[in-house]
Amino acid sequence: MRKYVKKFISTIIPLFVLIQISNASNHSPEEDFIKTFSDNAISILSNTEISEQEKGEEFTSIVMSSIDLNLISKFVLSKAWKSATADQKERYLKVFKTYFINSYANKLNQYSGEKVKIIGSEVKGKYTIVDSIIVREGTDTIQINLKWRILNRDGNIKIIDLNIEGISLIIAQREEFQSFLANNDSDLNKLILKLENINN
Amino acid sequence: MIYSRTIIAFIFCLLLLGGCSSNPRSIELDSKLNAPSISDPFEAVNRVTFSFNSIFDKTIVRPTALVYRGVVPGFVRNRITYSLDNLSMPVTAVNNLLQGELSKAGIASSRFIINSTIGILGIFDPASSFGLVSENEDFGQTLAVWGVPSGPYIVLPFLGPSSPRDFTGLLSTSLLDPMYQIGSDSNQNAFRSYRMGVGVVDFRSQNIEIFDDLQNNSLDYYAAVRSFYNQSRESQSSNNLETGSDLEDDIFDEFEDLELDDSYVGPDIEIEYSSE
Repeated sequence: MRKYVKKFISTIIPLFVLIQISNASNHSPEEDFIKTFSDNAISILSNTEISEQEKGEEFTSIVMSSIDLNLISKFVLSKAWKSATADQKERYLKVFKTYFINSYANKLNQYSGEKVKIIGSEVKGKYTIVDSIIVREGTDTIQINLKWRILNRDGNIKIIDLNIEGISLIIAQREEFQSFLANNDSDLNKLILKLENINN
Repeated sequence: MIYSRTIIAFIFCLLLLGGCSSNPRSIELDSKLNAPSISDPFEAVNRVTFSFNSIFDKTIVRPTALVYRGVVPGFVRNRITYSLDNLSMPVTAVNNLLQGELSKAGIASSRFIINSTIGILGIFDPASSFGLVSENEDFGQTLAVWGVPSGPYIVLPFLGPSSPRDFTGLLSTSLLDPMYQIGSDSNQNAFRSYRMGVGVVDFRSQNIEIFDDLQNNSLDYYAAVRSFYNQSRESQSSNNLETGSDLEDDIFDEFEDLELDDSYVGPDIEIEYSSE
């Protein structure tokens, strides 16, 4: 009888340890990254001790350090980036950065007070998609689905896109730029000028 | 009777129209790098309708949604969202059946029965705590499962972004939704008004800032909304077909090309990454 108990314990304990290890590794570095990012972002937004301006600056800086804006800037221009002149590229990157901060960096504002819950992640090609939800305030079942597209280059993790309820913000931006160019003689200068107007 | 026959004839025409247009999916894939990527042959007309809808929204819908959100407490607004969701469960169950999803149809029906009774006419959602979770399904999605192509993008007066497939679905819903078969004509009209009117205001009140933001920051608001609509419908259909949204992944594969192209990065633009 004792032999059996011993055998049972000697099988159970390694199994238990194994389960613990696999549980710990269940959180991919990308999931941890989004968890930290969203917790930090929400704690900044719900901080009542700093002014609105400081809040905005802190929020922008955490967003800017978590995304790959260079890549996003090029991606939303798509074909037009490849044919742009060096001068156009420089002007565009500058103006897009401001435009991006004004429009996207403030988007998460609406979700303050609610918590981002990480569901899991899956690898898709070179990207990792981190799946998460936000539960609407005052309910426990009305949810918003958020999917984060992550690029992990040897541990240097950056957010590439945010998909809200099936809508990719970056693809929407890209289609908007393409439509603008299609309706404006494919003239990148006009797009830059328009962005400058929106920024001011 | 004549009325419904006309509508059925109209639906039939729309189906034909949808069938004639080529599959937008293949167009998008072929022209990954070419603008515009969305099938929108009626863009000129659509833009006019879109401007009209924007004015309608600005003068009537948005102010109503603002007042609604300002006056009605959050608790009550959440109850209304739940009750609208509950009213959509019978038609979801019908569509689950039409899509051959028997267990999903069972879940939607159970949700409706439980939430209409224990959940007091659907204003609470006890079914979800029993693990009964269901996504809304409409006839447009059923048609997508049946392989009907969406057809070109169209903007309907008052109703907004649509496609021949989704508009057909919408008309079918107004004919076949079990919720509209109950009670006398006046009851049905009350139901219709409640769902249409309150549904629009409920949706709009949840998205005031999002649309304001989008409108203020867009250099082409029409294109932004078009993209939102198409992406949203695409992801709903691919959920039904369980294929996953591979279109999105295809588009993002393009990053690879761009990454190789480091031809110019402005001096001021290098973003400082905080080391963690």
